Amino acid sequence: MDGFVGWIERLLLQNWRRVALGIVSVLLFIAIWWTYSAYLHAEWPFGGTPSGAAEYVPYPDDVLSAFVDSFVKPDPANGLYMTDNIASSLERILFGFVIAFAVAVPAGLLMGRLWKADAVGKPIVELFRPIPPLAWIPIFLIVFGITWGPIAIVFLGIFFPILINTTFGASNVDPVLVDAAKTLGARRSDVFLKVILPYTIPYLMTGIKVGFGIGWMCIVAAEMLGSVGGGVGYYIFSSSGLGRYEFMYAGMLVIGLLSALTTGLAGLVERRFYRWMGMK
Amino acid sequence: MDGNEVRQSIVLKDLSKVFQKDDRTVRALEGFELQVSDGEFVCLLGPSGCGKTTVLRIIAGLEDKSGGEVLVHGREVTSAGPDRGMVFQEFALFPWRTVRKNIEFGLEIKGVPPEKRTEVSARLIDLVGLKGFENAHPGELSGGMKQRVGIARALANDPEVLLMDEPFGSLDAQTRNLLQKELLRIWSATKKTVLFVTHSVDEAVFLADRIVVMTARPGKVREIIDVGLPRPRDRTSAEFIAVRGKVLSELDEEFEKARAKELSPE
Repeated sequence: MDGFVGWIERLLLQNWRRVALGIVSVLLFIAIWWTYSAYLHAEWPFGGTPSGAAEYVPYPDDVLSAFVDSFVKPDPANGLYMTDNIASSLERILFGFVIAFAVAVPAGLLMGRLWKADAVGKPIVELFRPIPPLAWIPIFLIVFGITWGPIAIVFLGIFFPILINTTFGASNVDPVLVDAAKTLGARRSDVFLKVILPYTIPYLMTGIKVGFGIGWMCIVAAEMLGSVGGGVGYYIFSSSGLGRYEFMYAGMLVIGLLSALTTGLAGLVERRFYRWMGMK
Repeated sequence: MDGNEVRQSIVLKDLSKVFQKDDRTVRALEGFELQVSDGEFVCLLGPSGCGKTTVLRIIAGLEDKSGGEVLVHGREVTSAGPDRGMVFQEFALFPWRTVRKNIEFGLEIKGVPPEKRTEVSARLIDLVGLKGFENAHPGELSGGMKQRVGIARALANDPEVLLMDEPFGSLDAQTRNLLQKELLRIWSATKKTVLFVTHSVDEAVFLADRIVVMTARPGKVREIIDVGLPRPRDRTSAEFIAVRGKVLSELDEEFEKARAKELSPE
């Protein structure tokens, strides 16, 4: 992980102003949160609280201790630790990603290069892309069951960003590069593998980064459908159902952190690729 | 003819090309005739839009002809192929490949084993003067160096003809002059047939055995001028300036025609 450590080092050294401002931003957010929470918890001189909604907005430090507790104490609902939930959710995200990648990349390359593939694919894509993942729960339960249903929902979230970016990249290939390849003896398959695919990789990486983010956004919906072995999404809505709101927020925080982590890793892979491909 | 008949490398007979642009038809080439002998250096010169690049692209097999015949070493051109190397004004290097990998592209496709590929690319890197830049990416190179890679890459397939589409058009004047000299050195070392498109009269007179001056659209051959000056050529010599003047006056007339056509409604 030398590259990762080096990357962190460079980030801190070269961008300390950015890092400092980022920290200020988070602290400011916590301060606003704390103020709002304190306002909701405050007692009027004549008794009662402003809204009666205080329990929905716990203090930041309550959420932080719930966050720690979720890792060290089992969930009373099912006896799972947060690490178990993370493992289950990560598994769904990764399965969803692998399948989405395997389908979206070839489909995107074809749609970007062949007008017939585009004509066939585009109406379906545009029709299905805006449908919220939540809406699919009943049909996915029947078709895919409780193990594959959640993965299918995550798949939908990751699939479209990868497909659309790959299609865009493939359709944008500089035509003179294709001409050059042809005059060097490239057949259709060579043009695809040695020109169009490498040209598309940066676009594809953007699709992957965006896709991971949307994949995490789908995890609550996915785990509403099935949560064998728990899951962070499951943890959020089950905590909410039990009125354990500080634990619900702790779960939300975990998703935020996991999404940032996967996006960061994708970014790291992206930079590696760029350096290897001689692009900066 | 006797035994030492010169072999024709490129033969274009009654070549024509019609483009369909929306509801307009553009006659780009009409009755274009040209024969280029083996090992000859021919420049195509003409007003912009006269179809010189189209001629090159048809020979390369990147564009379909509308009529006529295109023969390269006696074979009818039907598609692009490694027997006709092409050098592009935009360099058209693969940005993700190093200099060496760019040059080896054609060999890779042919299935030449890696050791042999490296051997060929090393020789070509030497020939075009890029030693020490084998592992650089195109993004790290200047325009002149990029085009050296472009030339080496086209030569790697050992093509019968080299088609060059304004290869030095985007370079600064000094680099351009240097690369013209380099190209002549490479040409005499490899003995390739070169068909070179340019809009610079000076460049054409400096490089070519023969200069083909094209007419305004629809493009056909207006005049073929034998340069007939020994190399290396001196741009400041009276002979050079005389040929230059002759080509220029031919070209000027075509420019005028092209302009008149543009101004008059069809």
